[in-house]
Formats: sequence, C-alpha cells, structure tokens
Amino acid sequence: MNVTLAVKQYISKMIENSGPGMKVLLMDKETTSIVSVVYTQSEILQKEVYLFERIDSQNRDNMKHLKAICFLRPTKENVENLIQELRRPKYSVYFIYFSNVISKSEIKALAEADEQEVVAEVQEFYGDFIAVNPHLFSLNLSGVARGRSWEPTLLPRTTQGLTSVLLALKKCPMIRYQLSSDMAKRLGESVKQIITKEYELFDFRKTEVPPLLLILDRSDDAITPLLNQWTYQAMVHELLGLNNNRIDLSRVPGISKDLKEVVLSAENDEFYANNLYLNFGEIGTNIKNLMEDFQKKKPKEQQKLESISDMKAFVDNYPQFKKMSGTVSKHVTVVGELSRLVSERHLMEVSELEQELACQNDHSSASQNVRRLLQNPRVSEMDAVRLVMLYALRYERHSSSILPGLMEELNRKGVSEKHCRMVTSMVEYGGKRVRGSDLVNPQDAVAITKQFFKGLKGVENVYTQHAPLLQETLDQLIKGRLKDSQFPYLGPSSLRDRPQDIIVFVIGGATYEEALAIYNLNRTVPGVRIVLGGTTIHNTKSFLEEVTLTAGAGQAERLQRAGGQPNRR
Amino acid sequence: MASSYLPPFEGTGEVKEGFLCPLCLKDLQSFYQLQEHYEEEHSGDDRHVRGQLKSLVQKAKKAKDKLLKRDGEDKPETDSYESFYYGGVDPYMWEPQELGATRSHLDFFKKHRAARIDHYVIEVNKLIIRLEKLTSFDRMNIDASKIRAIEKSVVSWVSDSDVPFCPDCGNKFNLRNRRHHCRLCGSIMCKKCMEFVPLPLAYKLTSGTREALSVPGSPGQSQSPPTGGGGGSVSGMGSRRGSISSLSSVTSMLEEKDDERIRCCCHCMDTLMRRQQKLEEKDHVPDIVKLYERLRLCMDKVDERAPEYIRMAESLNAGETTYNLDTAGGLRMEVQKYYELIDALSKRILTLGMKEEPQPHPKNLQLQRMVRYTATLFVQEKLLGLMSLPTKDKFEEFKMKRKQEQEKRLAQERLAAQKRRQDSEKNRPASSTNGEPPQAPRVPRMTKAGGWLPSSDTLHTHGELDDPMLQQIENIRSFLRQAKAAQRHDEVAMLEENLRQLQDEYDQQQTHLAITLSQRLAQEESLQQEELQRLEDRKRGKMKHRAQSQASGSTQATYTWQGSLNLTDTGSLHREGEEENEEEELTPKAERSPPSMRAFPALTDQDEESPPWLGGDVEGQNSASLNPFKEEDSSTVEEDPSNPFSEEIQKEHKEVANGKKEYNPFEEEEEGGVQGQVEGVTGNPFEEEEENDEGNPFKEASGSTPPGASTNPFEEEGEAAMPDVDLIEEELLLQQIDNIRAYIFDAKLNGRLDEVELLSENLRELQRTLQEQNSKTR
Repeated sequence: MNVTLAVKQYISKMIENSGPGMKVLLMDKETTSIVSVVYTQSEILQKEVYLFERIDSQNRDNMKHLKAICFLRPTKENVENLIQELRRPKYSVYFIYFSNVISKSEIKALAEADEQEVVAEVQEFYGDFIAVNPHLFSLNLSGVARGRSWEPTLLPRTTQGLTSVLLALKKCPMIRYQLSSDMAKRLGESVKQIITKEYELFDFRKTEVPPLLLILDRSDDAITPLLNQWTYQAMVHELLGLNNNRIDLSRVPGISKDLKEVVLSAENDEFYANNLYLNFGEIGTNIKNLMEDFQKKKPKEQQKLESISDMKAFVDNYPQFKKMSGTVSKHVTVVGELSRLVSERHLMEVSELEQELACQNDHSSASQNVRRLLQNPRVSEMDAVRLVMLYALRYERHSSSILPGLMEELNRKGVSEKHCRMVTSMVEYGGKRVRGSDLVNPQDAVAITKQFFKGLKGVENVYTQHAPLLQETLDQLIKGRLKDSQFPYLGPSSLRDRPQDIIVFVIGGATYEEALAIYNLNRTVPGVRIVLGGTTIHNTKSFLEEVTLTAGAGQAERLQRAGGQPNRR
Repeated sequence: MASSYLPPFEGTGEVKEGFLCPLCLKDLQSFYQLQEHYEEEHSGDDRHVRGQLKSLVQKAKKAKDKLLKRDGEDKPETDSYESFYYGGVDPYMWEPQELGATRSHLDFFKKHRAARIDHYVIEVNKLIIRLEKLTSFDRMNIDASKIRAIEKSVVSWVSDSDVPFCPDCGNKFNLRNRRHHCRLCGSIMCKKCMEFVPLPLAYKLTSGTREALSVPGSPGQSQSPPTGGGGGSVSGMGSRRGSISSLSSVTSMLEEKDDERIRCCCHCMDTLMRRQQKLEEKDHVPDIVKLYERLRLCMDKVDERAPEYIRMAESLNAGETTYNLDTAGGLRMEVQKYYELIDALSKRILTLGMKEEPQPHPKNLQLQRMVRYTATLFVQEKLLGLMSLPTKDKFEEFKMKRKQEQEKRLAQERLAAQKRRQDSEKNRPASSTNGEPPQAPRVPRMTKAGGWLPSSDTLHTHGELDDPMLQQIENIRSFLRQAKAAQRHDEVAMLEENLRQLQDEYDQQQTHLAITLSQRLAQEESLQQEELQRLEDRKRGKMKHRAQSQASGSTQATYTWQGSLNLTDTGSLHREGEEENEEEELTPKAERSPPSMRAFPALTDQDEESPPWLGGDVEGQNSASLNPFKEEDSSTVEEDPSNPFSEEIQKEHKEVANGKKEYNPFEEEEEGGVQGQVEGVTGNPFEEEEENDEGNPFKEASGSTPPGASTNPFEEEGEAAMPDVDLIEEELLLQQIDNIRAYIFDAKLNGRLDEVELLSENLRELQRTLQEQNSKTR
C-alpha cells in the first residue's frame, strides 16, 4: 500500500531492465514530476542515468552511446513524438514504458516507426500519479470541476490516475462514493468501467476482505483547506507552498543562492522524516537541538589544531559534519521563514479565531472576534478574506448573521473586489446547500456534548482543535458504520466485514491536515491501511483558485442556461 | 447522558469505560460482547443515535488524550475497545510490497515491427543491389547513351506520360521543368526534388555486400568479378579528376551525364543515408564509452574492496590481530589508488573534446559533467567513509589494551563459569574460520554461552602471535581444573584432548617460527652485505653522477626522475613488490593480486613516455628495457617472482657485473624517487599520501641497514634513519593532509567557501608541522 515505494520500484525496475551502461531518461512534463518526487538526482545518478530529457525537447543531439529509457504518459502527443524519435533514433536502444494503458493501434504505429529496430522493450508501468508520501498521492490537477460537474477533459485523466494507483498497489477494490456529489459518482463509474474493461489487469490475488475505494468531494468539507496549519509539512505547504516536495524560497529576504529552491523529501532527509507531522513548537525545539549538535561538531573558527589528535578528531568528524550542514542550513532557513511569516501575519491570533470558527458554536463571540481582527491593519488581505469565508460557511443561515457587515468591513480594509467575490463563491462551493454531511453547525447530541467537553477541559492546543471531516468519515468506515445512504456502494455487492485496505480519493484536492489524520489513523488502528489521494494537494491559496475556477465556470454555466432559455422560448 | 461518562473521563477507569453500553450503561466484558448486547437489546433504536453515541465515546477519549498531552503513539486506550492489541502501523513502516502490475506489449510490438522490418530490409537491399549494378562499370569511359541503357536495365523507369506533376512538390512538368528519373527506383521528380549519390558514398554503401560476395569466391583477391570495376574506377577517377571535371561540368549541363554521381529521389537518398549512418555507427566506440567502462570497472573494484578494508581497519582499530597491519595498509593503498584512478578518469571524461573545434554538443558536455559529478559523489561518499589505520605504536597499544580487557573478561568469565558450572552443559561449537572478522573467537569469549571449553578448531588458524596460543593453553588448563573440580569426566577427557592438540600445535609453531627466524636472519645478513657493497658502488657512482649532473644542467631534474621512474617501475609494480617484501618479512601473507594493480601504470602513462635520450644514459642492460615491465619480466624469470628481493639482488648483481658504470641506478632510485615524487604530485590530492606511504616501507627497509654503514654517502637517506615515532607521526600527518585535501576538493565542489578556507588553514598548519618535523629530523 506504499505509493512512494510503488513508483520507486517501477522506476528502478525500468533502469534495471536496461542493463549496464550510460543511460538517458526520456520523460514528458508529468512523468518528470512523478520521477522527481520519489528520486533525488544523486540517487538516480548512481543508477547510471546521467541525462534527463523531455521527449518534446528539440535540443537533443545524437548520442548513440546512450541507452534511452522512455517513461511517458500514453498521450497522443507523446506517442507522436516517440514515433518521430524512433524514425530518427538519437540513442542506441529504447526501453519504452507507458505510465498507463495504451491502445493496440498506438503500439502498432510505434512498431511501424521502428524501422531501425532500436526498441528493446515496450511495457505499461502504472506509475501515473505523484507519490507525495507513502500514504498520500496527488494527480496535480487543478480546476477539475465546472460548477457541479466534471471539467470534461479531466475526468478521463483522473480516472487514469486513480486506476494506475490501484494497479500499482495491485488492488481491485469495491467502490463507495459520496452520494451528494455527482462528480464522485461519475468518477466511480468511470473507474469501474476501466476495471471491467481491463479485467485481465485487475486479476490480482484475492484477499479475504476486498480493498475499498472511497470517493469523496472536496465541496463537502470546504473548511479544512481554509485553516492555517501548524504541523511542519502542512505549514510549509500553507505558507511557502510545496510543489512536488520542493519549496520555492526565492522570495525569502536575504536568501542564499543555493537555498532558493529546496527539496523536502522524507525519503532522504532524516530530520524532515522525523518532524513531518510534529507541530511548530516541537519543531522549534528539535531544530534548536539540531543546531546545538551541529555547533558541537562544527570545527571552530579559532580552533587551532594543536596536536595530531586534534587533527584526527577533526578529520573523523568532518564527514558527519558535512552531512549535517546541508540539512541544518535547509531546515533552519525554512523554519526561520515560517516563524517570520507567522509573526508578520499575526497567524497565531488568526489561527486561534479560525479554530474557534471551525470548532465552536458561539456566534456572538465569533462575530465579535472576526470584526476585531478585520480591523487589525496587520492582518493580511488573504487572512481577512479567509476569516470571513469561514464565518460565512459556519454561520451561513444564522438568524443574526453579520456577513453583510463583514463584507463592508472587507471593503473598508481595501480588500480587492476579486477577493470579496470569492466569499460568495466559497459559499456557493461548499455551503450548506451543497453538503451531504454535517460539516459544521452540529445541533445534535454529539455536538452538544462535544462542546460540553471542550468547555470542561478548557486547555487544549487551541491551534489544533480542528479535526477534518475526513477523519470522522473514515472512523465510521473502519468501524463499518458509514451509512450506505450517504456513501452507497457502486454495484450490487457490499462489504460485510470491516475494511482493511482503504484508498480514499478526494475530488477537488486533499490537504496535508487530512494526510496527517490518515497517518495517525494508520498508526493507531490495527489491521487497517489507508492511502489518501486527491486531484491535488491544497493550501488555502490553491484552494481559493480552485473554488474560483469552479464557481466561475458554474456561474457562466448558469448564466448561459438563464440566457439560453429565453431564446428557446 | 454526558455526565455518565464523566467518571471515566476523569481518569478512574481505564479500559473498561469502553465496554459500557451507551444506552443502558450495562457493563460488558469486551467490545464484542458489547456489540452483541447492543445488537440484541437495542437494535430497534435509532441507528443514527447509536453512531453518534459511539463517536461521542471516542471523542471524549480523544479529548482526554489531548488533555493529557499524549502522543498519537501511546494512546492505546483510544482503540482498546476496538481490539485487543494496540496500534497500527506507520505508513513509513508498511511491509515491503511486490512490484505493481505491469503489462508488456513487446510481443505485439515485435510482431508488427517484424512485418515492417522485412519490408524495409527488402527495400534497402534492393536499393543497394541496384546501386552496385550502377557503379559496377566505369562511368567515365562509356558514353552517356550507353550509361542510360545500363541504368534503364537496372530498374524500369516510369514512363513520362504517367506523371504530369512532380510527386514531391507538385509542380507541373513542362519544357522548362523537366522530368528526372531516379536511377534507383525509377520514379520521376523535378530537378529541385532530385538528389545525387556521390560515387564514393555509393562505393562505401556497397562495400559491405561486395566484401560479403568476395569472401566465398576468392579471399585473396580483393576485386572479385562482380565488382571488378569498383576499385579500379576509384583510383582511375582520382587521377583523372582534374582533367575531366571542368569538361564534365559543361557536358552535364547539356547532356545530363553524371560521371561522379547517381541521380536518385529524396526517398531513396533518405534510405541510403540512414544505412550509411548505421554502418558508421556500428563499429564506432566513442572515447567517452571507453573511459566510462574503465571508470565503472574501478568503481566496481572499490565496491568490492572497500568493505573488506573497512572490516580490516575496524578489526585493527579494535586491537585485534586477525589481520595484518601491513596488509590493511596495502589494501588501503589499493583502494586509494582506485579512487585516484576514478578521479583521473572522470576528469578525463569531463574534459573530453573541450579543446576540439567545434565544441561538442551541449548535451554531450552535460553528460560528461554528470559522469564526473557522479564519480565525485562516489569518491566523496566512499572515501570519507574510509577510516584511517592505527599507526604501529597505536596498534601495539590497542593490542595491549585489548589483551588486558580480555584478561579481565576472562577472569570474570571464569568466576561466572564457576558459578554456572552446574547448568553449563554444551560446548560451544566451533564458529570461526580462518581470516574471519573481529568476531572470530581467537580468545575464548564464549563462556557466557554456557561452556568453558574453547573449541580446538580455532587454534589452527593463526601463527603470527604466540600469545593467543599460550593463552588458550592456559585457559584450557584452567577449564580442566574447573571441570575436574566439578567431576565431569567426559568433559575432562575432552579438555585434555584439546590441550594435547594445542600443545602439539604450539610446539609445531615454535619450531616453524624458529626456522623462519633463522631464515630471516640469514636473509638480513646477506642483505647487509649487499647494502655494503651497494654503498661502495654508490660512492663511486655518485662522484661520477655529480659531475655528470652538473654538466647536463637544466635537464637534471627530469633526468633523475626519469631514472627513478625507470627503475621503480613507473607504476606500482615494483613498489608493490617491495611492500610484499615487507609483508614477507613479518608474516608470509597471501599474495595480493598483481593484475589488479597492473591497471595503474596505464594511468601514469604520461610519465611513462620517457624520452629516448634516456636510454643512452642508463647502462647497457637496462637501457634495452625502457619498459619497466619488460625489465621485471626478464629479471623474474629465473627467480621466484613472489620474492622481490631476488629481483633486487639480481639487479645488484648486474650492477656489480657492470661494475664501473656511469652511475648507480639504485642511488637514483633512492634520491630521484623521493625527489620525483615530491615534484610530481603537487596537484593531485590523492596521490601524495600513497606515494609517501609507499615511500615509508622503503625507508624503513633502508633504515635497517647497519648504522655503521650509513655514514656520509647516505645523506639523502637521513630521513629514513630518523626515530620510529617521528616516522609514524609523519605518516599520520601525510594521511591527514591527504584527507583534508579530499575535503577541500569536496567543499569547493559544493561551493562552501567558508569551509574551504577553514580547511586550507588546517592544511597549512599541518604542512608546517610536517616541515618542522622534517627539518628537526634532519
């Protein structure tokens, strides 16, 4: 069930298949991301792969002393490019791997182009997804929805991505989907169709309890991606933006040249692996320890090497020191930047209110606090908008809603028109009308008691009160209590036992907070393995973009419909 | 309802809290019972409420966990009512999985390709055969109409009337835009779309088939009947070109006579060009590939050797005597040689084609850079992990320490053994084989396991040190006593047997040792004599040499160096011999594999390109063998090759025989060797150490000459006579210098300038120390 390992195994198998000698890896834009997330350059260099090329790059010379490993998505353009490549081969041998199912006719076209017999291998290796963490994958697709339905081109792409995950993990699952979302149903059907069509591929060893694929829709929980995060990975993504495990630090004031872009990969960064899911306070302590450790090992500037033994100690420590120095400088920079942003944007205060909005049910205090923070000039435009959004989502139908007043406040603050419109878009995207589950505003027994407990214990980490809806959903699922009425099975059969291997896919994008929740579920619930995936991994910024795209298109649709009807009449 | 959960929430109940029925608060023993109970009693109730309550319980506990600041890992209670064992699995720890699904299309692909390829191959072959026919006559001497007739006979031409437009560009044919026929396929095209196959290319393309045809017929005759005109016309054409070309340019305008080329359409041309490219590439191996292959070979060697060395070094640093210090030193040197080679090879790859015009394609340069980068990564990673060896003194110290520890442990073990006598039943089986790493139980460590009896097998292995053997005997005796005291007769018998064996072994070893000792003494004696003789030779040679060197003036430096290179075998073979020699003196060791070392001289081939004038200066016999390998061969044929002394001795004899030669090569070796090394190495960070390391055993060897002998003429060798401690310190220093250089190199590569500064500061410091030391000893 480890998606990172699955992709890694595919790639190392490809390289292994090509035998010894210098190699070039020919990829397209998407497979480049797929490979770069799981392998670092030095790792792959050790496997004798020295060049990384794009199949569509024109600037490639004849290098007949190289073997080419082609890892490509089976798109039309790629096949066309490959045909051209085979007609005039630039490398001695070609090992061709498609990341998904390819049609016979395309294979035939390729075979006919290979007049010089340079192709030694043609296979499908289903690594058609970005493996972010062992239990988290993304397809790096944004703007998948148009209103409440699929962007037509992205449904097949999402289906491909999701089926490739199933194939890479060798799972032929039963499918459940969120009833309130038509998109979830469509995707489920589409996946099912592929499974039926490629039944030979999906013929895996049967497990006692069949695996389960649960398809959800982001619009059911629009709150989670709007919250500020305080665990390392999630925070980095929220504040700096993680793209294929890379952070762009070029905007950080006074950044040194080699830290403009850093890679955060748990695969080969021990510190990151250990601190990925720890909260900001803990990381602060850990990084301090790391620094101290480092200082101890660092050869002092004034330290004269008086004796041979001094010298020897220095030399013995050097390799360790060297190894550490890269990690230390990277994380110190990242954490430094995070804390700078936190204080600059008053994120502690903002986050506290966010959590209050998300988790508590005290309208008067919430509205007061929102108003107060909006008046604070140091709260950024983005944070102001997101507070209003949270308020709007939370108290959408509250009798004494002060939303119009807050909107005015936003205007007064000088927030751009575009951002103000987003508040409406957000309500449209994730408002009560849309939701299938009780995301907020719980009026039932559970919620009331929950509130009661909260009040009772008082001190909790106020910044991490919120638990994503997904956690609740999965909890129910694991216990076999997830309601069929809300999450029906696709097809007649249903799971009788408690599920063991679960793949959750969130249309419209997952978040790192949810990834953390899944991680904890994996660690604490025995016998259950859960993998989370999404069309992308959101932070607030990317989520707002997604919502704007979705809602914008939705409005256009509606306008069209509205405009079209009179014409018809 | 909530209040009913308060007591557990406040932390009184632990596991039980989960087994209360949420509706009737009945206490049930387990989750399953609860579930059963629930389904029986309350199945009619609202399911929704039930779900809510269930999660409520959970929520409450989660809240409690958070309250108590529990980490995710140690909050088993959260799930304890879910199951009877705790915890799931961290996704990073998920068990390994098999490779995901794959599907191969190769067969399908091949099937379709085969059909296509057959077609293609036939096409190409057709073209080649036609081309051959077209070039098999002498085009110069036949007039145009005849050529045309032949051409038409090769392939039937498409009739003009069938093709009103050029099929490639679509232009209409008329008087101005005339039709042209492809001589290879007979199709028609306009002048613009027409191409020409130059004759030389045609010959080249058809040469493959020509050879193939000529082989079965008459191998001796290169121009077999079907191609008879081919070779001739090439030469004929060459000689005649001058006179014809001007003429033909005029005639071809009028008559379309193609003397030196064959008309064809672009499609045929395309096919031919591709074939030509293929032919060219078939046998061509670019330099980078050759170098790269060698590079990989070295890397493989390092991968193979480095772990072995590390095992040795670890063992030695722990004060064990499983391995010989010198062997380890030799291995270290070998590994470092490989590093040096990797470094040099990758540098060569990096600079490949840099000086040429035009510059290689940027991608090629990138490839070279990447190969180099990988090599440096490799060196960094592996070299930095290469621990240093203890010096001789240190090693002795370690050994002592270890021995003490062992004794202490032994004493403890004895005590423990006495206590445990009753229950200790089994003898520990023998577990060591010869040459096993640290764990090899040379000394009984096994008492813990229950027995007190060391197995006798371990005793056959090592003869280099007496102590373990004696110790062993001692141990067994004590065990014997213990066993007797415990009245365990079977064991007593066994112990006695062992003891006997041990003693036999020990006696044998002693005699063997005595023999070798006496042999060595004899050897040393002869060596001393030789040394004396050599000294005299040297004295004489030196005078002459000085005079000569003054005369030869500026060429001196190179001259001496060359001399030394010549005699020290340029590469490492000779040195290796000396090392071996060293080893041999201490303990007879397995021969290190010379073939693996033989790769190195190739690297220093620059040095090997010794100017010919040198030959004259070296005395007769040696002058014939500028190639160091040859020399060795000739000298080792008669003598035991594993004993380098013999070689030396033989050379000595040669010199003696040659008597009053111009200079003594040995002297050159000594002084020139040192000099040359020092001069030659400055650039390469790796080289220095090894050279010096290599220097050291040599010095030690000469240091063993009787002090009386090393008076005046040995001034250059004064270093060698310096106290042992200093020597070792120097060794260490050099090692450190070497390491630091590697680090500097690495730091520079990664652009960490502050580190570079710091390191170079340290380096300077070290070098100063080294110099001071040197001057002191002088």
